[in-house]
Amino acid sequence: MIEFNHVSKVYRKVRALDDVSFTVEPGTVTGFVGPNGAGKSTALRVLVGLARPTAGSATVLGRPYTELGCPGLLVGTLLDAGARHPGRTGREVLTLGAMTLGLPRSRVDEVLDLVGLTGEESRRTVGGYSLGMRQRLGVGHALLGRPRVLILDEPANGLDPQGIQWMRGLLRDLADLGCSVLLSTHLLHEVEQVADHIVMIGRGRVLARGTVRDLSRGGSLEQAFLELTANADRSAR
Amino acid sequence: MTHMTGSTTMDDTAVDLHRLGRPIPFRRLLHVEARKLADTRCGSIVASILLVLVLASIVGRGVVYGPDLHTLVDTAGIGYGTLLPALGIVSVTGESTHRTALTTFALEPRRRRVLAATYLVSSGTAVAASLFALLVAVPVTGVVASVGDVPATWEIAPAALAGWTGTNVLLVVAGLALGTLLMNAPAAIVIWLSAPVLWSAVSRLGAVGEAAAEWCDLNRTTAPLAAGEMSGDDAARLAVAVICWIVVPTTAGAARLIRKDVN
Repeated sequence: MIEFNHVSKVYRKVRALDDVSFTVEPGTVTGFVGPNGAGKSTALRVLVGLARPTAGSATVLGRPYTELGCPGLLVGTLLDAGARHPGRTGREVLTLGAMTLGLPRSRVDEVLDLVGLTGEESRRTVGGYSLGMRQRLGVGHALLGRPRVLILDEPANGLDPQGIQWMRGLLRDLADLGCSVLLSTHLLHEVEQVADHIVMIGRGRVLARGTVRDLSRGGSLEQAFLELTANADRSAR
Repeated sequence: MTHMTGSTTMDDTAVDLHRLGRPIPFRRLLHVEARKLADTRCGSIVASILLVLVLASIVGRGVVYGPDLHTLVDTAGIGYGTLLPALGIVSVTGESTHRTALTTFALEPRRRRVLAATYLVSSGTAVAASLFALLVAVPVTGVVASVGDVPATWEIAPAALAGWTGTNVLLVVAGLALGTLLMNAPAAIVIWLSAPVLWSAVSRLGAVGEAAAEWCDLNRTTAPLAAGEMSGDDAARLAVAVICWIVVPTTAGAARLIRKDVN
């Protein structure tokens, strides 16, 4: 369960988030879509306590994220697959995560297996990883603590078609097990295939929310998205 | 997909938030931060260079100067004076340089605990480095004495050894403080390395400059401590230097680190 309650974030004069409210229910995948710079990443950082909202609040499992004792055991996060020390091996990244969460080392191998990184790949330093491999590593890191809530920022970027299909299946399975999944993306075709709900954001405001079918009424999701974001741009001028 | 969740249920209502919500024990944060010091390619290279440098300089000085334990232990301090602050700077700024703070602070949102763990681990490293120098200097003193057939000088005052170790800790913590304040490794290292030049210039600026250097230069004020000959006046001077170089920058830097948005 994720809740945004009237969250606003102002950087100097820029309103990055403007009265954002929406909910992600357990057992569903919610696609958080919007053009680049719409505020998706800012919203996710506010959600996990890495950025402070100017107004409003966000909760995970009914509580502010920063008040969860060991949040990694309840909430899995992937905020930026590129934010890794290039000189650390993939296995070491997961080992540090498992140590922090107090999990046995065997969990590292389980997770590597789950995200499809081989033993040989896991012993290479992350500096040499492709973006797709970094995404797999990041998803694996998020899954270490067997979380009930999953927050992923652009996880499909850089994945090949097989990778995208794998990610879709993984997120669907997790949601079917009762997980609340929130993923941000600008790849509309991908999100259409996996998401139950869509929250569209543009210029920091929620432009529309509903099921994929609701939003693509009378056309494609892409068409609805382009119209909504164009309107938002016009009214902002 | 059962292997993913194991025996745990995914139902929010059934989750024992209290059990899973227990804070991460501080000891675990210490383990993780200690591991991070040497688990990268760069970290392990720096660690091996440090070990080789200490070995080489102690052996070299032992051969040239003769078997005097205190002198040989002090030899390691020449390298430590530069390397330990750099270690402190890099260990505290690395998280923002590589943006791994996103992961670290998502797993432990109480950022001050992570910062405290970093400080403690680096201080522990300074103690370990001091002990390592002693561990190398003892056999080198013995071997040089027996090979050269000259009497070894084993005298080393416990106060001097403790003071020297304390100085090494202060140096690494000064590096941490500068790194925490600036959150920029190159800038912090440049400031640290140019500080001695600056102080020697300041001390030539008349009586006021001389007094400033006497009270605020960390290298100068730690000298009596490292020699194990602290007087009351020396202690007061050291306290002032510690406030300038450690207490103030740590407080200001930590306040900013705890509040600011992580990118």
